[in-house]
Amino acid sequence: MSTRRGFIKSGALALFATGIGGVPAFIANAANSNKIIAPYKKSKKLVCIFQRGAMDGLMAVTPFTDDNLKLARPNLFMTAAKGSSNSPLIDLDGRFGLHPTMKAFEPLFREKRLGIVHAVGSPNSTRSHFDAQDYMEAGTPFNKGTSTGWLNRAVGLLGHDGATPFQAVSITSSLPKSFYGDNPSLAINNLQDFAIQMRGNPLAANLAAKSFEELYDQTSSNLLSRTGKESFDAVKMLQKANTKNYKPANGAVYPETQLGNSLKQIAQLIKMDVGLEVAFTECGGWDTHYNQGTEGGAFARNVGDLSNCINAFWADISTYQDDVTLMTMTEFGRTVKQNGTGGTDHGRGSCLFLLGNDVNGGIVHGNMPLLAKENLEDGRDVPVTTDFRSVFSEVADSHLKINNDRVLFPEWDGKKIGVMKG
Amino acid sequence: MKKYSSVVFILFFLIGIVPVLSSFIINDSSDSLSSLKFPFKRAGLTERQAAAHLLSRFTFGTTPNQIDEVVKMGLVKWFEQQLAANLPDDSLNVALAPYETLNLNNKQLINTYLNSGQLINLAIKEGVVPKDSALHFEYKNHKAQIDSFMKERGFKQQQEVVRQLIGQKIIRSASTNNQLQEVMTSFWYNHFNVDVTKDNSTNYVICYEKDVIRPNSLGKFEDLLAATAKSPAMLTYLDNFRSVASMNNQGPEVVAKNLKDLYQQQQQMRAKGDTGSKFKDLGNKINYLKNLQGLNENYAREIMELHTLGVDGGYTQTDVTNAAKVLTGWTIFPMNDNQGLQGIQKMIDKVGIEKLTEQGYVHDGDFMFAVNKHDQTEKVVLGNTFPVKGGVDEGKKLITMLAHHNSTAHFICKKLAVRFVSDNPSKDLIEKMATTFLKQDGDIRQVLTTMVASPEFWSKNSLREKIKSPFELTISTIRALNAKVTQPYQLFSWISRMGEKMYHYQAPTGFPDRAQYWINTGSLLNRMNFGLALANQKIPGLTFNLAALNNHHEPESMEAALTTYCKLLLPERDVKETVNRLMPLVNDPQLSNKIAAAGKAVKNEPEHPAMGNDMMMTMMDSGVKNDSKSKDATKKNELNNNKQASLNSMAANNNNMLSQVAGIIIGSPEFQRR
Repeated sequence: MSTRRGFIKSGALALFATGIGGVPAFIANAANSNKIIAPYKKSKKLVCIFQRGAMDGLMAVTPFTDDNLKLARPNLFMTAAKGSSNSPLIDLDGRFGLHPTMKAFEPLFREKRLGIVHAVGSPNSTRSHFDAQDYMEAGTPFNKGTSTGWLNRAVGLLGHDGATPFQAVSITSSLPKSFYGDNPSLAINNLQDFAIQMRGNPLAANLAAKSFEELYDQTSSNLLSRTGKESFDAVKMLQKANTKNYKPANGAVYPETQLGNSLKQIAQLIKMDVGLEVAFTECGGWDTHYNQGTEGGAFARNVGDLSNCINAFWADISTYQDDVTLMTMTEFGRTVKQNGTGGTDHGRGSCLFLLGNDVNGGIVHGNMPLLAKENLEDGRDVPVTTDFRSVFSEVADSHLKINNDRVLFPEWDGKKIGVMKG
Repeated sequence: MKKYSSVVFILFFLIGIVPVLSSFIINDSSDSLSSLKFPFKRAGLTERQAAAHLLSRFTFGTTPNQIDEVVKMGLVKWFEQQLAANLPDDSLNVALAPYETLNLNNKQLINTYLNSGQLINLAIKEGVVPKDSALHFEYKNHKAQIDSFMKERGFKQQQEVVRQLIGQKIIRSASTNNQLQEVMTSFWYNHFNVDVTKDNSTNYVICYEKDVIRPNSLGKFEDLLAATAKSPAMLTYLDNFRSVASMNNQGPEVVAKNLKDLYQQQQQMRAKGDTGSKFKDLGNKINYLKNLQGLNENYAREIMELHTLGVDGGYTQTDVTNAAKVLTGWTIFPMNDNQGLQGIQKMIDKVGIEKLTEQGYVHDGDFMFAVNKHDQTEKVVLGNTFPVKGGVDEGKKLITMLAHHNSTAHFICKKLAVRFVSDNPSKDLIEKMATTFLKQDGDIRQVLTTMVASPEFWSKNSLREKIKSPFELTISTIRALNAKVTQPYQLFSWISRMGEKMYHYQAPTGFPDRAQYWINTGSLLNRMNFGLALANQKIPGLTFNLAALNNHHEPESMEAALTTYCKLLLPERDVKETVNRLMPLVNDPQLSNKIAAAGKAVKNEPEHPAMGNDMMMTMMDSGVKNDSKSKDATKKNELNNNKQASLNSMAANNNNMLSQVAGIIIGSPEFQRR
């Protein structure tokens, strides 16, 4: 006992010393065994954003020198030429231009922290959102029966157990397929709601929490008592963190959007040192069959939000930037040609963004052919020239030090393309 | 008072009708069931404990006094009555009357309930919205036009189908008298899972559950399997509707391999910048091969892996491919008035239905066998030869073969035992059930009877061993509290938060049926919060009366209340530990005052689920007539019934305490088990 008390008093652990029922069990255990507590050891963190609905990679990062695209998209094509419009594309390298609303990404790209992979996607040519998301999240593009998600397998391959319930957290209302599997993972819609709640009646909630904690502690079902303990540990940690009055660092301003809110919460978890290693969240609205717009409109709002949210997140976690890699993904891209309703239909290759100090940034990776008809997949779509698993596995290997790609992506034996440094 | 009397009425009604029914139906099957005995005494259970166990397995939860009823009727008789599944459901039918989608067939649903994309396209096509606006289309700018277009043409939003699907399931599960049939409907729906959000499956799911699953849920397995195979929901969900014969004799795996090689060549040439005529030839070759890939193995694989044999059921990839060939041409009869129908109608008009039928074409309800898309070659599946030109019959033969396979018997029986006995049922039990399955032509009633007559079913190891799924937790709470549901969609948001977004499971496996899947750090807290929110009447559209549960006897003390409500909500369970743990809570002399004081401030503030789409849910629920008037009436009755309640603040405090206690019981570990 004395060890534990001394330990708690001695440092940051005092943070958790009081709560609805005292000290989280894992801290007590660690204190009793005099082990170094993992949450206070620096760990690498991977943050993934799934853009559901299939982002038009050709509009986010446009090969603006390609006249084929100009011809195929008379109402949607934009150029980087100065004076061509009020807000031309941001010329990245003379060939690719970033959508003007993504200007927050430009400095990150110039500093070589932001990398882009183009014409990336799945080798399975399905154009069904359902199947393509499923395949991508499972990490097995030809196997529908895969019951686990690639990020859950990644957690299992980290080589150590999670020190806290927060090792793998998805800021979503339900567990995404990426997180399916036997390794512990947590879906939280909102950190503030992660508590025993009775709106406006904290006293009653606190009493109820106490009762629940005791009831779960003594139940004969191991599963219920173990999970109950984990839950209350997590609640206590969050309770001390004052999630409600969180102030982002460096004057970072998150957009008031779902994605902004999610990334803010991931930043909070990172800065709380609760042992987070894999985080996931998602954003929607990418299925732009109608009125996609150009420098304004639905697509512009979406990519603007994406880049502003990520930029705010990056500023907010300043002291942790060396530990964090962020990666976006989307199930497929969209047709090269615009359709009859000012939008684009389901296609194949799209692009993804990688942000981090270990990222081989400032480059548009991948292989984007000229968009002449004979180069297109099925004569209509950006061909997938980089398998998403090539990028995912390189990021996991390089950043999280996972070396068993056979488990992470069972059917994959392809090459890496150098999206990460070293 | 009204509510109470209707319960009494239903009770009388039930008691009155049972002897009539039993003389009609139950004797019908009494040849095989008359000797049925439940060996619970050998397991050391009292009759009441046995009744509680029986109810925990074959209903969505025990209602107040139900154990008394079952004991009085006799456990075997109750079970047989549930197997017969033909008790009248008058009050349920009244409650479901506003759910108009339940009265429509697939064709009507498809042509009435449109998603916004379909609506906009149609509006543009018919000139309601100017065509040139397509490029700058903003729904909000044309809302009025589209709304009046919908009204004029009788179109409705597709989302309404999903809302009604979920609403009817919650209401039905909570109140049908044929509980076992509904439990089995859930079981089989999950077994033959269809995700309501997949592409065009949405409108088909209403009829899929109502006409395909439920009527076959206690029949022969083969009938159920065949009905799912021919249903538009399954044909769409697992892509068989588009699976057609390959035009050459190469298997799709050969084509796929060739394609893969060609893609690699293409990629290499592209990398080298070699895009000359050779490159173009390659592209043409690829496109040619792609058109040959008409076969879609998705359904053929899942019918073996998930629906019948099981993943270790002894089939090979060749069996999958050949089964897919057997099922080519099994598709949906076009029913969308705005597309598709013309083509097939033209063919019928041109060739004539008689000639088509002669050639092997079949039109059976929503199902169509398109003989011109069928692979006419000889195939071998699981060692059985399907000769050339087998037509639709070879698919039927395949289904019969799979339905009666030894692996299927074991796979299905294990799944049933997991559902009804424990997460790890014994091999002996599965063997017994599988023997019945094979001997009795896959008769699900007989299999369940074998299961419930086994000592394993009553073993102390299986008592309370199952963890309720979030749906089961929710419905069992409604039933335990005798609650009235007027806005079921609100409950859906809680069920989703707890981890079971009904009808929305993406993978064809359905939700896993094991405790570890349901219980995790996030979901467990949501279960506790659900208990608290519900007991404190913070879930809109759900009303109940805790005092009425105890026949308006006000407990003498909070201690008495605790014991009473533990027993009411957890009948025949050992609640000593729960009571002991909670006793200090209710014994705090200042507690009730504190809670009351804090409670006043929030009395009428509904507990909104933090899902971000509360607004939508509330809007959606308001689609079905809200009975705020009757809610007020119920409230008035509560007050009248409780003589002291209106003015006596002590009683109000007690009510707050009672809610708190009930909430904690519902969120307690014991209530999560069944």
